[in-house]
Amino acid sequence: MKREELIKKWLDNELDAKELQLFEKLDGYEDLLRISNGVQNFRRDSFDTDLELIKLKKAIAAKNQQKNWLKPLVAIAAAIVILFGIYHSFTMQGTEISTLASQKQEIALPDHSSVSLNSLSSLVYNEKEWDTQREVQLQGEAFFKVEKGSTFHVKTATGLVTVVGTQFTVKDRDELFEVVCYEGAVRVDHLGQSIVLQKGDRYIKMDGITTPNTTTNQSSPSWITNTSSFKSMPYSAVLAEFERQYDVKITATDIDSKQLFTGSFIHDNMDVALKSITLPLNLKYIRTNRMITLKGE
Amino acid sequence: MSKNLHKNICEETLYANFFKKYANDLHSFLYYKFGEHLNPKDKVQEAFIKVWENCKNITPEKAKNYLFTVGNNLMLNEVKHQKVVLRHRLEKPKSHTHENPEFLMEEQEYSQKLQKAISSLTEAQRVAFLLNRIEGKKHKEIAQLLDISTKAVEKRIYGALKKLKEQIDEL
Repeated sequence: MKREELIKKWLDNELDAKELQLFEKLDGYEDLLRISNGVQNFRRDSFDTDLELIKLKKAIAAKNQQKNWLKPLVAIAAAIVILFGIYHSFTMQGTEISTLASQKQEIALPDHSSVSLNSLSSLVYNEKEWDTQREVQLQGEAFFKVEKGSTFHVKTATGLVTVVGTQFTVKDRDELFEVVCYEGAVRVDHLGQSIVLQKGDRYIKMDGITTPNTTTNQSSPSWITNTSSFKSMPYSAVLAEFERQYDVKITATDIDSKQLFTGSFIHDNMDVALKSITLPLNLKYIRTNRMITLKGE
Repeated sequence: MSKNLHKNICEETLYANFFKKYANDLHSFLYYKFGEHLNPKDKVQEAFIKVWENCKNITPEKAKNYLFTVGNNLMLNEVKHQKVVLRHRLEKPKSHTHENPEFLMEEQEYSQKLQKAISSLTEAQRVAFLLNRIEGKKHKEIAQLLDISTKAVEKRIYGALKKLKEQIDEL
């Protein structure tokens, strides 16, 4: 029998008496035996199966108990979250009023402050929390007559307008952000700046440029009386307003839309209105349904 | 025989028997593979708790494999965490009054060599070899425990012995 086979058999305690004699005569037999005896020193700690089983049962019982009181707790927490969510969705749900193109709307707020919403605009406010917080969110343009009381906030995508009791318009359109104060005082928080407007002051921000304070001597915006008036405004802003008021699409490709326009147009007669914005600039217009094309002469 | 009667091992006596059958083996396996520093006893407990928690999905046939895999993974996680260097405990040689100091010192020296040599074995070699030599397990038993062939066990144990001898001769 070969040496390797003998050793393997010895390792598995399979040697018979005769083989054992052969194994004991092997070269290096002593060394192998010494290793085998030597590793006994590395025996692991004793492992008491019964004791460990008791420990395990205790651990499992403790875990179950933990779960048992955790479960109702989790259920309660979930219920609270859901109730809170429902409560919130009821109280936080704001009232939303929006206007379509060529439509205007008067809104009475809970404290009898009034809002006139210009075309294609929307206003969101929270009726339930009005007593504690007078705040509206505005998209588009509106004229506010605010009753005296706690501070009144108008939030727009561009800036925050804060007042106590006064009359003012806020216009937050793609092309410009404009606040005009008609009575009292208004604070505008915009781009990290805080500006206070007094009666007659206007704040205009257009294409990233703040126009130096201009003033108005009107007592309410002209659009309240169905006229849009402009004072040194880019022609593009005029056209955008026209589109909103008449719900039309205007193409004016070969026209300098940056030139300034001063003038006005009425809201109830499109032909007259078109003439009043084209004649001063020597423009011609072609009207087909809801499409209007402007051309220079 | 009862094995086939049960879909899983959630039944308490079945679980207890399962523990009695494998806890000791799992402990020896983890101890010899990873050393004493990673608390093999705790890992045995944790592994069995995991088995209990998932008992619904574990058939009696799969339970042993699941147990050993979990135990092994628990250890591996710890190794990643701690980067503990594996070291085997060295028991002091029994103090025999009739042995002279020179002999004792030599014995101690030999034991240290052996310790180093054991550390240099692969995990697979070490586990198989120590289960065989210390726990006195037959090759066949080890094969069943580790889910490998008897031939493979034989190879590992013989390889381990050969390597240990070489290492000790060198040192």
